[in-house]
Amino acid sequence: MSRFGTDGGFAGHLGDALSALLDGELPAAQAEGARDHLAVCPDCTRELAAVDQARTWVRTLPPVDPPFGFYERMLLDRQPVLRGALGDRATLRRRAGVAAFGAAAAAVTVLGIGSPSPRPVSPSVPRLVEAHATSASVGADLLSKLAPVGVPVSFGR
Amino acid sequence: MSGSGIPTWEEVARDHGRFLYTVAYRLTGNSDDAQDLVQEVLLKVRRGLETYVPGSLEGWLSRITTNTFLDDTRRQRRRPVDLLPEDPDRVVPPSPGADVALAAEALPDHIQDALRALPTEYRAAIIMCDVVGLSYQEIGDALDVPVGTVRSRIHRGRALLRKALA
Repeated sequence: MSRFGTDGGFAGHLGDALSALLDGELPAAQAEGARDHLAVCPDCTRELAAVDQARTWVRTLPPVDPPFGFYERMLLDRQPVLRGALGDRATLRRRAGVAAFGAAAAAVTVLGIGSPSPRPVSPSVPRLVEAHATSASVGADLLSKLAPVGVPVSFGR
Repeated sequence: MSGSGIPTWEEVARDHGRFLYTVAYRLTGNSDDAQDLVQEVLLKVRRGLETYVPGSLEGWLSRITTNTFLDDTRRQRRRPVDLLPEDPDRVVPPSPGADVALAAEALPDHIQDALRALPTEYRAAIIMCDVVGLSYQEIGDALDVPVGTVRSRIHRGRALLRKALA
């Protein structure tokens, strides 16, 4: 802990004032006093370099993209999946299968719209998605999650 | 964004989703916990949007995210530890998905690991300062601690990070 006086001078080493100095959080008088001290104190100069290095490391960490389809799944549901209501962290992994199936279903829908003579699909896509959500297993890969879906499908002519 | 300046829930997820996930990932240190945290935060956001005062949306989101993370951490500390886990995932962790593997390959893991090893209060203050860009006063207001405490946590956290990565 640093001990600044009212004139910006201080006793002892700068301590956490070094981080405040780097972050522009010291009042002008204290910042000036800190710089004066750094000019004559090798210990504080070394510590300043160390915390500046750590600060730079964190500040240059890149943004992190969420897993593919993470927000789309929630937007599709129109509400966030509630951890408390649906279980635990396995919820998302379980629902990853739903997302993959939803993407496939969306592709089928788009293709259907683009064809010259749309045909009715039975059961409906929403029902298929719902059926898969209840049958998808936890921990398996996405493809194997799709396999257990046992809903009969027919494409009417 | 609607005419009132208050975004819809969908706009928050679409326009600030990456930011929100980044803060959550930096706080939790792994993809599963980050996803859980983001979901919890979005639920609170949805409830809180009616009372949101237009301003720094990302500052508001980061405050909710950090406080939710700290609340969860405190709750877990109070929870007794299971001696015999029933969930096989807790004995043999599942292999990471492709997205996790890709993220791990692209990110400086050693920095993230060192961040995760910090005491949660230090980590939260550092992330709010160096990832989100909040001032000490804003961090103090968000965490309900004096500015001096914020300054001390940030400095000690950085010193620990530097020591861990030296």
